[in-house]
Amino acid sequence: MLSVVHISKTFGQVKALDDVSFDVHDGEILGLIGQNGAGKSTTFHSILNFLSFDGQITWNGQPFTEADYDQIGYLPEERSLMPKLTITQQIVYLARLKNQPAKVTKPKIAGWMDRFAVKGQPTDQIKKLSKGNQQKVQLICTLIHDPQLIILDEPFSGLDPVNADLLKQAILAAKQRGATIIFSSHDMTNVEELCDSLVMLKNGRVVLKGTIDSVREQFGRTQLYLTTDWSKERLAALDGVKHVYHLGTHRYRLQLNDEAAGKTIFDAVSGGHYITEFSQQPPTLDAIFRTEAGGTDHE
Amino acid sequence: MNKTWIVTLETYLRQVKSWSFLTLVLMPFLFVGLSFGISYVATPSSSKDKTAVVSSDPQLRNTFLKQSDLTTTKRYAAKAQAQKATDRGDINGYLTLGVKKNRLTATFTGPTELNSGDQAKIQRFLTATQSALNVQQAKLSPQQTQALAVQPQFKQRLQHKTASDKLAKQISFYIVVFFVYLILTTYSAITAQEIAAEKGTKIMEVIFSSTTPRKYFNGKIYGVLLVILTQLLVYLVGGIAVVAFAQRSRLTADFWQQNQTVISQILHNLLSVNMLFALLAVLLYTVISAFCGALVTRVEDAGKASQPAIYLNLITFAVALAFQSNPTNVLVKVLSYVPFFSSYLMPLRLINSTATGVEAGISLLILLVTIVAIMLYLGRIYGGLMLQTDELGFWKNLKRGLSLK
Repeated sequence: MLSVVHISKTFGQVKALDDVSFDVHDGEILGLIGQNGAGKSTTFHSILNFLSFDGQITWNGQPFTEADYDQIGYLPEERSLMPKLTITQQIVYLARLKNQPAKVTKPKIAGWMDRFAVKGQPTDQIKKLSKGNQQKVQLICTLIHDPQLIILDEPFSGLDPVNADLLKQAILAAKQRGATIIFSSHDMTNVEELCDSLVMLKNGRVVLKGTIDSVREQFGRTQLYLTTDWSKERLAALDGVKHVYHLGTHRYRLQLNDEAAGKTIFDAVSGGHYITEFSQQPPTLDAIFRTEAGGTDHE
Repeated sequence: MNKTWIVTLETYLRQVKSWSFLTLVLMPFLFVGLSFGISYVATPSSSKDKTAVVSSDPQLRNTFLKQSDLTTTKRYAAKAQAQKATDRGDINGYLTLGVKKNRLTATFTGPTELNSGDQAKIQRFLTATQSALNVQQAKLSPQQTQALAVQPQFKQRLQHKTASDKLAKQISFYIVVFFVYLILTTYSAITAQEIAAEKGTKIMEVIFSSTTPRKYFNGKIYGVLLVILTQLLVYLVGGIAVVAFAQRSRLTADFWQQNQTVISQILHNLLSVNMLFALLAVLLYTVISAFCGALVTRVEDAGKASQPAIYLNLITFAVALAFQSNPTNVLVKVLSYVPFFSSYLMPLRLINSTATGVEAGISLLILLVTIVAIMLYLGRIYGGLMLQTDELGFWKNLKRGLSLK
């Protein structure tokens, strides 16, 4: 288990992290979200001991030691490999630095290249690969030694939907074998699909924390998805409705002032008859992100 | 395997497999080989320089052909053949060897007189063979033979510096200084660029999630040092081969013999404690260059990274040249203990015998302590410097890097 306890970090006058705390258990995926500059990478760098910081970070109850490096798989935000090395040389070198001998790594390379559909031969130089394939090779370097703690900084950025799915499968497979995973993303769909819990940072402070469902529920079931032949104006006139958004033919999303208004609206719109859609939900993560990050009302 | 060693090996193999390293190492040999080749072609081995040897005693002839230093040809064994060859100008003449009443005789027949060197070579052979013959004839006991073999001893103890001594010192100084300067410039550039390029590709975050910056830094330095040692080893083995060849080659053998004293004095000056100063200088500059490389933030600036180290080397080199003829100057004495300067100035003093072994030892010790201290300090701040990739300018880069850890 990874525990981040009251960590703070200041660069000059800028407070990059301010009393950040969270836990990630074995076999759990935590999404770290926040705008650019919110402190996500600084949090990762603190965990990896790249920075000095106030507070405490422990791995399985103990402060990180050099021996723990071998259990870490880290994908930095800025992708980078050694351009003159071949795929095999690059993967073997980085795996050796994780104390995985070449004789163990080499037989695994072809399998991992298939898994991520890397276009190229193991003997190809990194610089000759496309940007996307280089990114996949870096993902292989991150995961090939079966790390127990996986830290991925914006792993989905630059990946097309097909390759993003391949990465999701790899992340879920690592979770399956009990790895502790923490990743940052701007794409709330990925966070919602993969994560057990999330932490949202704003200006270095934790503004949201908890399981995905609990975070969404904090905002109340104020989103009402409805299919009806009522007009937009008629819906807007109902008590407790803040905004009405037209989503398609006879389909609307109503933003409520209070989730308690839902029952009255249901009675009014259905008139006691069958209706095809009436779904009252908490706001999506994407909407929450916009609200919390930008300070605007979630729509 | 120890992670420092993994980094060392990776750095070493990547460098020695590169074309730039092969070119760097092989260039002097190609140059020497080419010079020899051109000289060889330009002055082809001609039979005209050779002397034929004829004798009614085939054993004596064979012994001469094998043992004498004279440039000979085996081709003409009969006097008539040798005479014809001389007349045609194919050879410079022929030597007729014989034994009359236990006395060795040698007669040179040719259009021009033999030079004094060749005459001496023939005389040397005749003296040695005649004395063996005399001992044989005299039927002496082993003790008597041994007693007769005792040779007088002649030594020179010179109280004033001779011209050759001065020349040897001057040549030694220039070789040491230029060798150190070139190797420092080359490896400062290689190290700084290697580190700066790595920093520019941002792979350091991945590496520092696998090993400590100190281990990585030490691994890089050791890797570059191994490359330098490989180059020195190649030069040493190649140098021995070149020396062996030069001693035998018809183009250089005479020059070698005439200047043996100067050459051995130069070799002695090079393969001495001066080599240790050169090695430690390389280590010091490698460490400083790694530091310079770590301050650069973009791959494109990798070329500029080595400039501070190269300028520093240039300054110390210039000081060494300026004081080459004044090794007793008080400034030279002081600076010969100061790291960076000591790599040039202590060898200058040692070559000119103005420093003692103890003084050299103290200077080496100061150099070694400085290197260890700098390595320890840089190992501590290296992680911060390498992870600071915002482009802020030299001083701000340094300040930010130091504040990370």
